[in-house]
Amino acid sequence: MSSEEHKFSGESIAHIARIIDNINLGIWEYNTDTRQAKWSVGFYTALGYAPGEIECSHTNFFDHLLYYYDRQTFLKSTYHPRVGESPVAHIRLLTKQNGYQWFESTTQKHDTADGPVIYGVITNINELKLSQVRAAEANYKSAEIGRIAKLGSWEIDVATMALKFSDEMYEIFELHNRPTMSVEEAIGFVEPQYRPLITDSIDQAIKFCKPYDVELQFRTAKNNLIWVRSKGVPVLNNYGQCVTLRGVFQDIDSIKKKGIRLQSSINLLDDQNKRLQNFAYIVSHNLRSHAGNLKFMVKLFEDTNLKEDRTEIFSHIKTISDSLSATMGHLDEIVRIQSEITKERKLIDFETIFNNVASVLHTNIMSTGAEINTDFTDCPQIDYIPAYLESILQNLLTNAIKYKHPDRKPVINILTRKVGNEIYMTFEDNGIGIDMKRYGDQVFGMYKTFHQNSDSKGIGLFITRNQVEALGGSIQVDSTVNVGTKFTVKLV
Amino acid sequence: MITENKIVTAGLIDDDEIFTYGFNKLTVIKGLFNQILNFSNGQEAIDYLLNPKNSHNLPDVLFVDINMPVMNGWEFNAAFEEIKSQLGKNITIYNISSSVDLDDIKRAKNCPVVTDYLLKPIDEAYLTDIFNSLQNPADVRRYN
Repeated sequence: MSSEEHKFSGESIAHIARIIDNINLGIWEYNTDTRQAKWSVGFYTALGYAPGEIECSHTNFFDHLLYYYDRQTFLKSTYHPRVGESPVAHIRLLTKQNGYQWFESTTQKHDTADGPVIYGVITNINELKLSQVRAAEANYKSAEIGRIAKLGSWEIDVATMALKFSDEMYEIFELHNRPTMSVEEAIGFVEPQYRPLITDSIDQAIKFCKPYDVELQFRTAKNNLIWVRSKGVPVLNNYGQCVTLRGVFQDIDSIKKKGIRLQSSINLLDDQNKRLQNFAYIVSHNLRSHAGNLKFMVKLFEDTNLKEDRTEIFSHIKTISDSLSATMGHLDEIVRIQSEITKERKLIDFETIFNNVASVLHTNIMSTGAEINTDFTDCPQIDYIPAYLESILQNLLTNAIKYKHPDRKPVINILTRKVGNEIYMTFEDNGIGIDMKRYGDQVFGMYKTFHQNSDSKGIGLFITRNQVEALGGSIQVDSTVNVGTKFTVKLV
Repeated sequence: MITENKIVTAGLIDDDEIFTYGFNKLTVIKGLFNQILNFSNGQEAIDYLLNPKNSHNLPDVLFVDINMPVMNGWEFNAAFEEIKSQLGKNITIYNISSSVDLDDIKRAKNCPVVTDYLLKPIDEAYLTDIFNSLQNPADVRRYN
């Protein structure tokens, strides 16, 4: 077999002409000297015409069929060196019924006896071109969606454990050189406390085909700490094994932070609500018992005729009336705490406030021989509502003296401490203490008393806690019976 | 039917001095109960009940307030359940409180040693019924 056998050169011209006319391609020829053009049957068919239905001419092609915008492209593809690959141009041609359609055009130059001839082939590539355009659009859109939603996608090939990232993944990682990473390297960007969670999630997804959806804290290559959401879905083979783990990865930092803020204000509201409800319940209970006693005494007053009985009953009615006023006073005090929060804070000296309180309680301190040690050197001043600090100190000091141990004189240590931006005050006594196991959760409750002490009203620590918490602080108690009690107040 | 009236001793466990005074006064005026034992909290009552010196003077009925220092009504109920079998007498327990909280009422009614939950101020007629039923045990009624 000669090497030339595969060529058409041996065929008759008529045979080749028949092939050219029947083939589903448009073939054309143009003589640049004579300006004569030839179009194959396929050329007409490609444009939706019957052969000869339109004028076969250079001008018709250029001025009517070729989309004006593509003229340059087409011309450029005809000026090419005679050797080498023939250039391909994508051009739009006007068809009879379907408007402009995309065609691929290949051009060759050839010298004949009649002069230089350009010939070429056009193929309809409209479907292909449109799907390419659509694919490019879809790619662009999904990239845009990813960028706008800060949503990246990734894939782990289970066999090799190779990890593939979408462009947006690298944006979230802030890795602009787009390195290839292993799964472990990628997990390394997750904050240490969340690493077990994500490692387990991936393991479970691969081993047990369990999809996951987790929220993690993540440190980007540029050291920005953000919240991300990682979702993984296993892709199974016919045997039900996970062959690919595919997922999305989203920067949810702003949403998450809003959520956290919202949750913390919900918690605060919840706390306040519970306290108010508890308060309302306690007040109503307290008022109800006074009202009940009042009714009881009035009834007895009516039932008895004895003068001495009536005198005694009336003295009780007076006591009830005083108790009712006291309860109303407590109510006022608690309502005032809430309304006073808006009062101006001032920079005040602990020493000054303590001296005020000590002078108010002077008689009690003297009569019990209480020894009070203060150390405000670590934090001598605080930005606080003066009346609150005075009230807090006074309540704690009153309690420390009231619940002193019968066998020893009271020793009270008060000190302030600054830890970062927070200011703590500790208040320690050597009094009778509180049984924390029994009363630990009730120490700051309203009308809760734990000792048989006639002047215990169970209001002081309730007020103290409300004042501390109203200014965003907290109070804790630790106590041992017969040893003493220590209050730790986080003021700010 | 003539029956010899039994001597009925009641115990009141309450830290509220005014209520305690009123309860004592009312029973005197109405001629209810032959003797009243007063305790200002649950612990005092438990200590009394467990003291062998008092074994001949145990109450027939105990009225137990809920809110009290040292040992409150709930703690007393639990403590009483523990010591009940050691006592030589069947003692009826009523909880008394001014709390209208449904949880409190349910809690008292669910307590096996508690016969009933009485709201303060105490209903005279009901107190009279309790006294009568204890004085004449044949006339046992349930109050709920």
